[in-house]
Amino acid sequence: MPAVIETQKLTKVYESSFRSQDVRALQDLNLTINPGEIFGYLGPNGSGKTTTIKLLLGLIFPTSGRMRILGSDDIGAAAVKRRIGYLPEGAYYPDFLRGEEVLRFYGHLYGLGGADLTRRIDKTIETVGMTPARKRMIRGYSKGMRQRIGLAQALLSDPDLLILDEPTTGLDPIARKEIRDILSNLRDQGKTLLISSHELLEVELISNRIGILHNGVLQTIGTVDELLTQRDVLIHIADPTGGLIAKLNTAGLQVEDATATKMVVRVPENLSVYDALEICRAEKATIQSIAPRRETLEELFVRVVGAAENKTLA
Amino acid sequence: MNTIRKSLVIVCFAVAVALGAWQGARVRHLRESERFYRWILAQSTQTRLFAGDTDLSEQQKLDFELYYEIVDAADTAIPDLPVGEDDYDADGKPMRKMTIAARDEQYSALVFDLASGDVLAKQREEFLQYSRERKISSVASEFDPAAAYSEGVNVSLANIFFGFRKVAANFIWLQVDKYWHQGMEQRMIPLMTMCTWLDPTFVDAFQLGAWHLAYNMTAKLPDTPEPLKVWNEKYKARIGEKELYYYIAIDFLKDGIRKNPRNHKLYFDLGYAIYNLKMKDYDNAVKYLTEAVRYPHEVWVPRMLNISLEEAGRYEQALAGWETYLKRNPGNLTAPTFIVRNKGRIKEKQANEAAERARNATDPQAAAAAKAQAETLRDEAIKIYESMNQAGEDPFAVGRIMKIKADRLFEEGLYLEAAAVLQNARWKSALLWDEATDMMIQAKIKGNIPLDLSEKKYVLRKEEAEKYKQAPKPQQQPAPAQ
Amino acid sequence: MSEVASFVRGTWTIAVYTWREGMRKKILMAFLILSVLVIVGSNFMTSFLTQVTPGSEVDMEVKQMKDLCVTAISIFGVLITIFISASVVPNEVENKVIYTVLSKPVRRFQYLLGKFAGVQLIVILNLILMAALFFVALYLKERIMPTLLLWSTLLTYFEFLIVSAFTFALSCAATSAVLPTIAGLFIYITGNLTEYLKDVFVRAGQTDLWIDRMIGYISYGLYQILPNLQNFSLKNQILYLASNDPPRDILLPNLIAYGLLYAVAGYLMAYWIFRRKEM
Repeated sequence: MPAVIETQKLTKVYESSFRSQDVRALQDLNLTINPGEIFGYLGPNGSGKTTTIKLLLGLIFPTSGRMRILGSDDIGAAAVKRRIGYLPEGAYYPDFLRGEEVLRFYGHLYGLGGADLTRRIDKTIETVGMTPARKRMIRGYSKGMRQRIGLAQALLSDPDLLILDEPTTGLDPIARKEIRDILSNLRDQGKTLLISSHELLEVELISNRIGILHNGVLQTIGTVDELLTQRDVLIHIADPTGGLIAKLNTAGLQVEDATATKMVVRVPENLSVYDALEICRAEKATIQSIAPRRETLEELFVRVVGAAENKTLA
Repeated sequence: MNTIRKSLVIVCFAVAVALGAWQGARVRHLRESERFYRWILAQSTQTRLFAGDTDLSEQQKLDFELYYEIVDAADTAIPDLPVGEDDYDADGKPMRKMTIAARDEQYSALVFDLASGDVLAKQREEFLQYSRERKISSVASEFDPAAAYSEGVNVSLANIFFGFRKVAANFIWLQVDKYWHQGMEQRMIPLMTMCTWLDPTFVDAFQLGAWHLAYNMTAKLPDTPEPLKVWNEKYKARIGEKELYYYIAIDFLKDGIRKNPRNHKLYFDLGYAIYNLKMKDYDNAVKYLTEAVRYPHEVWVPRMLNISLEEAGRYEQALAGWETYLKRNPGNLTAPTFIVRNKGRIKEKQANEAAERARNATDPQAAAAAKAQAETLRDEAIKIYESMNQAGEDPFAVGRIMKIKADRLFEEGLYLEAAAVLQNARWKSALLWDEATDMMIQAKIKGNIPLDLSEKKYVLRKEEAEKYKQAPKPQQQPAPAQ
Repeated sequence: MSEVASFVRGTWTIAVYTWREGMRKKILMAFLILSVLVIVGSNFMTSFLTQVTPGSEVDMEVKQMKDLCVTAISIFGVLITIFISASVVPNEVENKVIYTVLSKPVRRFQYLLGKFAGVQLIVILNLILMAALFFVALYLKERIMPTLLLWSTLLTYFEFLIVSAFTFALSCAATSAVLPTIAGLFIYITGNLTEYLKDVFVRAGQTDLWIDRMIGYISYGLYQILPNLQNFSLKNQILYLASNDPPRDILLPNLIAYGLLYAVAGYLMAYWIFRRKEM
């Protein structure tokens, strides 16, 4: 199966009047997104995520490099665009129209019409849960409602590829869950999703693969399991003694959260758990629990971005 | 692909602009042809009606030259047109085809085709060149304020109004009206010329402007006494300030006629309001009223024409005119009266001619026959006039009957009686006043009856007027040596 | 065939959407109301005139009304045209709705054409409204159907088309609607003053300086190329059907073609600016 999105050395430079003030928004991006996966596209503000999306949609034009979407070099072709649904960041829709009128408008732009379009409108409104409010003007919608309508217009043409820019930012937890479920369903239906977000927890929950972008350079890319590899083991000990702490430190084990009543020992991957347990047993420490802990996405994120920062500074 | 599309857009844009420019050139040509067309109409009217009125300025000479060139060039291009019975110029020659065509609306398309086509291309170029250099009057005139700003090549000030010239003219006209009601007559003149410069089709401005000039400017001025009148080279007449306004009004209306040659209102005003009522120049009145009738006109215009014909002494034409008028407007109430009146007038004229023949005849038999004829005609005239009194005493008829009586008394040498009858008659009918007074004074002089003071003054005034009329015209100053 | 159909449908969708959005703008209502006031008020203009001669009274009133109404429609119409043409694209970019539109299967050419068509729909509708009022007012005055008014309005529209096209083009380069609006006014004024370029190049070259002659050549070139809105001055005179006027049937189609050609040029300029514009 050919990749849904494939970029080769995609570069975007925003030129200013002075060469020295050129902004390199994206630098030699090689990104591949496979069919049927949810790809989490992460990065701090100004890293180039939205730039990438705009390049893919033809809203801006690359300085150099190549892109292929859905197997086609011509990203502006109607046949290609008909298979893409886009939910932009910020939820700006024509506010003088009603909910279903907006969908009808976008539907016409997709080349849909008639009874078919009406059916699709009903279905997508149902999917996003906007049926009670469909006849109200967009002007009267809350942010959450606008996001839902936005998702509905992205789904109208039953696209193979969905590009979502900050789909859950600013929503309440229930709405977030609902959207997450919708997105997972879509993935289960075989669609490909590219989600650009800050919400690391959400992304971690539903993504198959993630990529982290910083200063226009793709720092890391891979499946969640591949990336969040650091598996420490945490040992929770009650009533720690001073000697225990010292012994543990000598052995290279990190002690975290040491209070009078309890203590957490982090056993890094390279060291054996059993050695740590030996020390604890020798000191007659009370072990409450032993559990493996995977690195969170946030930790990974901070680590990667921090390293990239240091590299640029160095 | 991208470069192809880019170049395609640029090429299409260039083509669109080029085509637009080409189309613009065509539109420009049409607009210039329209100017040329209007000038042809103006100049043909000038040639047909106003030529010979005043001496030609340098500009006007060039106008005429160019016009004759055009007439010659167009002669072959215009098909033969029907020549009407009054389509003859002052020299008795039939008018050229171009002049006839330019007069009538039905040939507008033909004239415009000529104006925009190849036949007159050379003349058109000349016209545009001359008008750029302001060498010809070009539908403009002595009333053109822009001429004051020209020094050779001039900028058209009218374009600065963005095509809102007509509205500007309307607003200025409101100001003219305001000045009129405030009595500030002098201020109206520059504004009126401005109105007509901005909007040459503003017929009402010409009409009312001429009315202001001829009537309202002069209302408070007395008639200039003969000794104070000066010889005006341009108008070839002795005129004072009051009369000068009449001539200016005439020029203004002529300007309007040149610019709107097919509008009857201006001809009507010129013929009736100015020439008939103010100048008492009935021949010119008839000339312009005849023109007015040629175009779509109001129902009263032919009536004024016929009245002017009567006042000019052309009773036969007046009678024919009234009969035609009655046929066209069967319900009209004035026409029958005038028909009768003119019949009477004709009889009276014939009678007077017979009496004249009787006076001058050497052969006593012929003289007696003529006298008898005169008497018969006079009786007939009286009968005709009396028929006018059926519906009640008609002052005109009564007056004329008395005049005929006075004619008889005069010929019999009964001057006192004649004078008495005329004295009575002139009070009966206002139209009779001048004629009757004149004859009464003659009768008194012939009968050695002493004149009263006002009559003496009258005689003195007439003698002075005659003196000035006979006096040699002031010689033109010789041109200064170069 | 279906490609053409889908092209037309996409363009039409955007045109109708633009029209709906544009018609809601309050300022259009303001201009329309102003023009209503002028058209109705023109009837009473001649009450300022108190001296009349028989026959000229009604003629003068009718003339005042005709001239004033044509001028009012010209002025308010061009303001509406400039305002709408200058604001459709920048507003959409500013409120970011354009992202959702351009990401659909709509070519930029289609989008721009749809926007332009929507602008023309608004201009035409407003012009028809004002002309209808004028028509009714004239009919009540003269008691005959002023059919020539239709030709006058048609010419006025094509004059607006030229202004609209170039204002639209400039608006594609701008980020807010303010600058293109001012530029539009400028275009209208300049279009009316193009006649003066002719005077410039006729007068130029009187001294032998090369710059004098250069100015002459440049103004000659500009005079030929730039659209000359004074060509449409026929719209004032055509209402009168004066017998002195030359036949109108030649000038009208030429003027319409003139308007269309420059409109195409203006639209292409807009497309050239817009096709690689970064959103």
